[in-house]
Amino acid sequence: MSDVLELRGVGKTFAGIPALRDIHLAVGASELVALIGPSGSGKSTLLRCCNRLTEPDAGDVVFEGEPVPAGGAELASVRRRMGMVFQAFNLYPHLNALENAALAPRRAAGLSQGEAETAAREALERVGLGDRTSAMPDELSGGQQQRVAIARALALRPRILLLDEPTSALDPELVGSVLRVIRSLKEDGVAMLIATHEIAFAREAADRIAFLADGEILECGPPAEVLDRPRTERLQSFLSRL
Amino acid sequence: MRIFFDPEVLAAAWPGIRSGIGVTLGLALTSIAAGVALGLLLATVRALIRGAPLRPVGGLIAAYADVFRAMPPLVLLVVLYFAAPFAGIELSGFMAAFVALGLVLGASAEEIFWAGITSVNRGQWEAALSTGLSRGEAFRRVVLPQAVRLTIPPLTNRAIATGKNTALASVVAVPEVLNQAASIQAQTASPAPLLLAAGVYVALFLPLVRIGRWLETRFHIR
Amino acid sequence: MSEFFQTFLNPGVMAESSGLLLRGLWVTLQACLIVVPGGLFFGAGLALAQTLAPAWGARSLSWGVDLIRAFPPLVLLVLIVHGLPFLGIEPPPLLGVGIALTINTSTYYGEILRAGILSIEPTQWEAARSTGLGTMATLRHVILPQGVRNVLPDLAGNTLEAVKLTSLASVVALPDLLRMARVAQGVHFNPSPLILAALLYLALLWPLVRLIRRLGGRAVLPA
Ligand SMILES: Nc1ncnc2c1ncn2[C@@H]1O[C@H](COP(=O)(O)OP(=O)(O)O)[C@@H](O)[C@H]1O
Ligand SMILES: [Mg+2]
Repeated sequence: MSDVLELRGVGKTFAGIPALRDIHLAVGASELVALIGPSGSGKSTLLRCCNRLTEPDAGDVVFEGEPVPAGGAELASVRRRMGMVFQAFNLYPHLNALENAALAPRRAAGLSQGEAETAAREALERVGLGDRTSAMPDELSGGQQQRVAIARALALRPRILLLDEPTSALDPELVGSVLRVIRSLKEDGVAMLIATHEIAFAREAADRIAFLADGEILECGPPAEVLDRPRTERLQSFLSRL
Repeated sequence: MRIFFDPEVLAAAWPGIRSGIGVTLGLALTSIAAGVALGLLLATVRALIRGAPLRPVGGLIAAYADVFRAMPPLVLLVVLYFAAPFAGIELSGFMAAFVALGLVLGASAEEIFWAGITSVNRGQWEAALSTGLSRGEAFRRVVLPQAVRLTIPPLTNRAIATGKNTALASVVAVPEVLNQAASIQAQTASPAPLLLAAGVYVALFLPLVRIGRWLETRFHIR
Repeated sequence: MSEFFQTFLNPGVMAESSGLLLRGLWVTLQACLIVVPGGLFFGAGLALAQTLAPAWGARSLSWGVDLIRAFPPLVLLVLIVHGLPFLGIEPPPLLGVGIALTINTSTYYGEILRAGILSIEPTQWEAARSTGLGTMATLRHVILPQGVRNVLPDLAGNTLEAVKLTSLASVVALPDLLRMARVAQGVHFNPSPLILAALLYLALLWPLVRLIRRLGGRAVLPA
């Protein structure tokens, strides 16, 4: 039982329309699982159900062997150990890079200001931005902003990172810098669940790939299996259109 | 023309008007502070309440903002000063004006803060919650600082309007600038005290009106 | 509770003072019928003048507008109603009130309409000009119709402020709704007429507030 995160029969319906159906998926320690699938297939909803930004209406999300609590300080404490990276970065525009990354260590984890800044600085160094700690978000490129967002999650030393299409909002020439950071995190053994359209990246970096269509996981397995020997028609046509 | 600027009348009127300036400023600053604090408090409550049992509270706050937007401040002041005593609530003129101006500004300020809060992208809440911040901390450290930037120009303008509305307190015998000028005018049968008071208001508020205009263009609020 | 009603919502007192209050309401409405159209008319003039004037002219107009706005409306009202007679001009009270409040409110209407004019893309001017329309014709037929639509919520918001402003007339002895309520209160030594007047203002203005919300209006008009 070394799974960091496990979804057991998770479902979610929006206004009568199912967005997720009976999702079973586990992410082990140091494992990188990639979620692929057409847009609208439920990738974001799945990630957001993990930390209950979206409230699942069926099934269980189990984190480090315990169900994710419904609310309050217990949920906040789980969220701290589950970092999330958003497609649109969602950096705090009124805070500089260091303050963005130090806010939660200080105000959620209760570290002292000095400890929080140290954790933030280390996280920024890890994403290659040790020299931009005092830059405001609007002074950074999209790729740099997304790396600050990753550092914001890393500063809390999470057990797993949930990344929702972290490179989809980036100009093509900036995608590489963010993927490089994600690869180096994998080498350091950070567990990750990542929704992505970068199939080449998924093939090379993921331990497993899950293919999502209409809210269901149709295929799940090692990249070679899923990408090279797709069993379902949906996946075949999805891959052929890339 | 001389009657408008009769130096003797002006000299006689000045001490009263000067003491009126103190009252005007005191009333303005206290009601502005109270109104802004009230508006911020209500908008915060409205932003943080969640869940079914508390839902109606948000509606009540919105209704408060609507009612006091529809109510002329002078009508409110007159009701507070002349009707409240029948309920055993004896307010001094100053207190009645303070409460009326504070309630009216509180309603505008609530609306301004609420508009600022709701204009902050949902993603900001979500990012903050995803790092384990409580709703209160997310509001205080992430949402409110961004909302406040948007509220500064309109809030400044409402505060200036509240400052000008202190003149209404003359109706309930608060010895502020206009009240002083009117009573001296009644004694001297000369328009000079009124003109002096008008000059005082221009000196007090023209700079503020210019600042308000500058803030509006600077922050590009539309 | 019934004592509360007897004091603040006394049916007998309200019935007996309803005649007075209705007369007052009519005066309030007359004041509105002067101040709102008057404010719009002179506000439009102000907006056009600021649009068409050379830069220095527009700048002095903006100082003039701010000078007027520096006066609390009540001070402007008292100045005009109690000051003009010293110049030998004695307008009827309703007119005096109308002049003072129109001066005040037209500066706000003017600023809103100017924002409306400025909200229209310069390409609209160019398009109209290219078809041979003159400046005034372009303003009247192309710019203003679109510009007014863009600032409709703010125009409604300022109309609300203008109506509320007319309650000041009571201070200079115009027998408007608020004044008549005070008179009735004195006669009956009972606050019910005041409460009724406040409720009448709410009944008059609450729908306007809702309308502004529907139009998506901002709370916050310039002061
Ligand atoms: N907050 C929401 N309200 C209503 N429908 C939603 C909401 N979020 C997502 N959906 C719907 O759920 C489905 C899955 O969306 P999403 O998880 O965003 O897909 P993906 O991330 O794969 O593009 C879509 O049909 C989307 O329209
Ligand atoms: Mg998505």
